[in-house]
Amino acid sequence: MIDFFFTYESLFDLILVNALLAMSQYVVLRAGVFSLGTAGFAALGAYGCALLVTRAGWPPALAIAAGMAIGTAASVLLALPLSRLRGVFQAVATLAFVQIVLSATQNWVELTNGALGINGIPKVVGLGTLTVVTLLVVAFLVAMGRFSFGRALDVIREDETVAVSLGISVPRYHRIAFIMSGALAGLAGGLHACNSYTITPGEFGFQMLVNVLAMVVLGGRTSVWGALAGAAILSTLPELFRVFADYRNMVQGVLMMLVIVYLPRGVADSFIVAVGDRRSRQASAVHGPRHETAVSVVHAAASDAGVRP
Amino acid sequence: MFLQQIINGIVVGSVYGLFALGFTLLFGVNHIMNMAHGSVFMWGAFAGLYAVLGFEAPVGVALLAGMVAGGLMSVLLDLVAFRPLRRRGAPEFSAIVSSIGANLVLLAVAQKVSNTAVMRFPFDAFPVVVYRVFGLRIQLLQLVIMGVVLLMVAGLVHALYRTEFGRRIRAVAFSEPTARLLGINPTLVNMQVFFISGALAGLAGVLIGLVFNSVHFGMGEPLLLRAFVIVILGGLGSIPGALIAGLIIGIVQTLGIAYVSAGMAEAIVFLALFVVILVRPTGLFGQAGATMRVRRA
Repeated sequence: MIDFFFTYESLFDLILVNALLAMSQYVVLRAGVFSLGTAGFAALGAYGCALLVTRAGWPPALAIAAGMAIGTAASVLLALPLSRLRGVFQAVATLAFVQIVLSATQNWVELTNGALGINGIPKVVGLGTLTVVTLLVVAFLVAMGRFSFGRALDVIREDETVAVSLGISVPRYHRIAFIMSGALAGLAGGLHACNSYTITPGEFGFQMLVNVLAMVVLGGRTSVWGALAGAAILSTLPELFRVFADYRNMVQGVLMMLVIVYLPRGVADSFIVAVGDRRSRQASAVHGPRHETAVSVVHAAASDAGVRP
Repeated sequence: MFLQQIINGIVVGSVYGLFALGFTLLFGVNHIMNMAHGSVFMWGAFAGLYAVLGFEAPVGVALLAGMVAGGLMSVLLDLVAFRPLRRRGAPEFSAIVSSIGANLVLLAVAQKVSNTAVMRFPFDAFPVVVYRVFGLRIQLLQLVIMGVVLLMVAGLVHALYRTEFGRRIRAVAFSEPTARLLGINPTLVNMQVFFISGALAGLAGVLIGLVFNSVHFGMGEPLLLRAFVIVILGGLGSIPGALIAGLIIGIVQTLGIAYVSAGMAEAIVFLALFVVILVRPTGLFGQAGATMRVRRA
């Protein structure tokens, strides 16, 4: 058992960092903000942390916190104008942001070493730290979902008109979700930098953006568990099928298409809904059929929109 | 030297415009962002290249091969990635995710087929003829490209605004239910629009492949990112907007590479996109509320 953990330690590290990134993407999608900015914030967090450790000699813990702060600061700056936009425009604006960050990391050679990346970052973040941080974030997000804040995000995602009629300020919640996403991605970036000895601009490009989005889509974007499941599945898949390493992207692409067409709620969320259905059916068997009709109507209405009743 | 760069920029920019035209047409009619449009472009370039390498086809045939391949690829995308979602009335998010998935597949296949190699057209594929006008060097290839782009744009505008076919497309773009009531089959129209958009992308692929004489599987992604800038700058769904913004981006990029650096040019372009989205999301030629239509100039 211990051997198993040591052999696959780097895989678990990868899963946890990806889980943090996926949760950063999940927070915005839950609020109906179509942001693709996670990769950009992660790059800022990682480079900020790595530079502070290697050049300025900051203690790593402080540098990771600074990485998170940089991600947060960038998202605060972006959140104000971004909450005016919707849908496709949000996606393109955040995509532009990612490209600006990327070309800075590639071309500002004096600061970032360009395409060579930053090497010699001390590895201070291990599996233990990553696990603790991930658990804390999961606990925070689950708690958030249980309170009115999470409900407000759900309403905004499903129907902005309804949200406004309920007195929910859509731009305000969009901003908060976006800032949380930036903070989480900055944190994930900082942890990643202090976990892998070296970072390069290539890691944070279009590929990361697509990967993170694929995780959330595959797992499900209405509950935290979806993001976690997606990160676990997509990080493990290439390890399980080493033989098919060449076809990794193809498998991922086919999975994305199949899931979005046939399982729009994602693996984990569909499972949660299925379990919920079964529970309510059992409950109705005890308490009579009236309950069931109400529940099944809600489920039918929510089936495609991706709502978790 | 400056004028020379401007001319180079106009040539590249007109091809960008051609590519962005298909992208914006899809958005105007089907209201989707096709993230796999860059791969269609790349496959068009592949088809043109293989036609030249395999069958020693003349350049004209290679352009045609690129168009047909791009068009068919695009129709295939519609059938596999978009139609199931459209039938279900899924939100725009789903279409973007699905086309990102399709893009990954198309890229992976192309990488496999080409062995990740950068391929070139044979040296004699296109006669190198250089005209000198007032001290400027103008290549025959550049003139041909300008001619082809003008021809395609004129043809498309004529088809869209002067024919029964174009009227049907505009009707679907305006409102699908209304078009259906008038006896138009939106499924067929969507497919035709996908073909046109793919054919434009495929043609642009062969042209870009000829201009830079390099064809490889990763050539689509930078172009797709540039197309985002172009369609937003020109106004989503606006045809003249896409063309003019394409020229602007082509010139800015060429000048940027010549006088600053390639990386800075990239950063400037995306910074401009960011500013446009925040200040005027409808772009230079879009009007508020009219962005979802294939508008008339």
